[in-house]
Amino acid sequence: MGASRKADQGPPVGGKGRVSRRGFLAGTAAAAAAAIVPRHVLGGVYAPPSETLAVGIVGCGGQSGEDVRNYIGGAGGQYRVLAVCDVDTQRVARAVKSHGEGCQGYTDFRRLIEREDLDVVSVATPPHWHALITIAAMQAGKDVLCEKPMTKFIAEGRAVVNAARRYGRVFQIGTSGRFGAYKSSASRLIHKIMRSGLLKRCPGVWIQRGGFHIKPYCGRVGPKPEAVPPHLDWDMYCGPAPLAPYHPHRFGGSHRFYWDYEGQGLADFAQHYLDPIQWVWGKDDTSPVEVEAYAPPAHPDAAGMWGWVEMKYADGLTFVFDGGEWGKPYDRKAERRVELEDLDEESRNKVEAMPDPEPPRTFVEAVRTRRRSAGHEEAAHRAATVIHLANIAIRCGRKIRYDPVKEQIIGDDFANRLVNQPMRAPWHL
Amino acid sequence: MAASEKLQSLVDQMPEPDNRGTYGNMDKERIQKAVAEIHRGGRDAVVGLIEMLVEPGAGNDIKPRYALHVLAVHVCQLGDDKARAQFARTVASQLAGRPKGVQRYLIRQLQVAGAAEVVETLGQALLDPGLCEPAARALVSIGHGAADQLRGALPKVTGKCRLAVILGLAALADRNAAGAFKEALDDNDADIRIAGAWGLACLADAGSAGTLLKAADGRTGWERIQQTNACLVLAEKLLAAGNKAAATGIYTRLRDARTKPSEGYVRQAAERGLAAAT
Repeated sequence: MGASRKADQGPPVGGKGRVSRRGFLAGTAAAAAAAIVPRHVLGGVYAPPSETLAVGIVGCGGQSGEDVRNYIGGAGGQYRVLAVCDVDTQRVARAVKSHGEGCQGYTDFRRLIEREDLDVVSVATPPHWHALITIAAMQAGKDVLCEKPMTKFIAEGRAVVNAARRYGRVFQIGTSGRFGAYKSSASRLIHKIMRSGLLKRCPGVWIQRGGFHIKPYCGRVGPKPEAVPPHLDWDMYCGPAPLAPYHPHRFGGSHRFYWDYEGQGLADFAQHYLDPIQWVWGKDDTSPVEVEAYAPPAHPDAAGMWGWVEMKYADGLTFVFDGGEWGKPYDRKAERRVELEDLDEESRNKVEAMPDPEPPRTFVEAVRTRRRSAGHEEAAHRAATVIHLANIAIRCGRKIRYDPVKEQIIGDDFANRLVNQPMRAPWHL
Repeated sequence: MAASEKLQSLVDQMPEPDNRGTYGNMDKERIQKAVAEIHRGGRDAVVGLIEMLVEPGAGNDIKPRYALHVLAVHVCQLGDDKARAQFARTVASQLAGRPKGVQRYLIRQLQVAGAAEVVETLGQALLDPGLCEPAARALVSIGHGAADQLRGALPKVTGKCRLAVILGLAALADRNAAGAFKEALDDNDADIRIAGAWGLACLADAGSAGTLLKAADGRTGWERIQQTNACLVLAEKLLAAGNKAAATGIYTRLRDARTKPSEGYVRQAAERGLAAAT
């Protein structure tokens, strides 16, 4: 909103808070709300399998609705989109039309969040909004599907985890690689070795070579400001980020190329890569302790080139992002798995006797059973933390040491300013 | 070194944007060498760089903008706090009298590399409606000495600035701002009321429990959701601090008062809190 739009400002029909398609929509929205009884009104924690989930989607850009289709529809769940929201009125109108009768449009997510008839909120905005909207939805009793990357900075992730615990909500990040990883016996074995705690020093090295689209995802340096289109609420778009002068490249997909909203190709793709790998290597509940980047000095606004980032965990495991688009390739270590042969005989026997880990749980199943989904908030936060630490090392140009428990960079107050970034009022974690 | 030919030649060594307007080709060593040389130019070089900055859209200052930021990061890399503080003082000294867009950019560099030596300058910036918001964020990032500046500015600011200042004090959990937070709860502006509640929750003061619960009970919609969250956060903080009685009081009140089916999730959250407290 920007401070200019008040938190208690009502949603006048056809005004700023709500997009009206004449009186038609208001009537059909009310009818739809009556037809779908939200879970929390039914009471209890059990939801019958035949239940239709009432969904609100915040963000009507390219990814809008993808998570709902994949993680509810794709898992055999039924849903109905009752509300959509975007800061661009043209997008809202298109989304309302595409979701059909009974879908109400909004331009202020708070008006969507305070609706009492929604079960699930799908967050498909640019990442600088992910955490705030996710937390707000949980504060209003909704379960959440959230696009990747989960957050824009590390402290946001912990705040999401805390909100999920406080309100007992289900969270699923918009990536699903661990479902595939679970099917691999080799991956399950690595997972068991790592989770057994029997490996004294982990020699494992995982390297993601390429796939970050670094050059195409570079932001423009010094773009000339332009007039804000009348259909766009630019202040609300910027939200917790600094109110930068408008330029179309900061909006509509290319937002990814600017530090204010995301963290370029590394942030856009790495959560996909990390989601299965972090599970395989048993790192869903911790973070690297040392991070070093090979990159030229970063621009303050526009994300740019980098070569590679090396991240070491406390047990010796090393993750590497090798961008392959700038400078010399990473050559410090070779990729290496862990194997049973890395253990002594007694430990090998113990690992072989371990049962397979629990299969990943779909979002639909998690909502029904009130248990964690596979891409739960802590796992997603830890994967996002890897991404943010990598970008902090790139932006600060120095090796950083990290405390995965306190979630603070050690001995570097200045680098820590990127771990928890103050937001523009009225927004706060 | 003023904005001399030598400084200009060093700035010229910053990368040229490519045909897409991006920094797709960068020579790390060349940039670092030039910036280290600028740093050796001391105060005059920093002032010279700042002199090259213009309001966004009013000219091409891509290279000096980039150089100033790389310099801000460079002084943090040196491990020489005297050098860093000198840089920050110089940037702070150049804030006055420049275009707003330049001032905001300088404040951002202070957020990168400034510390206690620049909080007074940032405190002054809080009084300028065009700079208040970035100045508040920079102060929160810096932390040390920031609360005094924010609190000092509070009686003199209004509107968006007041909101930014209150949220800054909340983020810093400034105990001396408790009165201001309580006062904010009765404001006409919902954003201010929400900020006040958040500030009280951040302080983890058991004495605020009744006030917060009353404030939450009296609101609807978004504000009720936010005020209720402040109550739950306060209870969590009290519990973490060992004050089980106060935490239990908040949880019990929420469990018993939120009887509407649509607030069943609040009751459940309170019940989880009570279970944790026992």
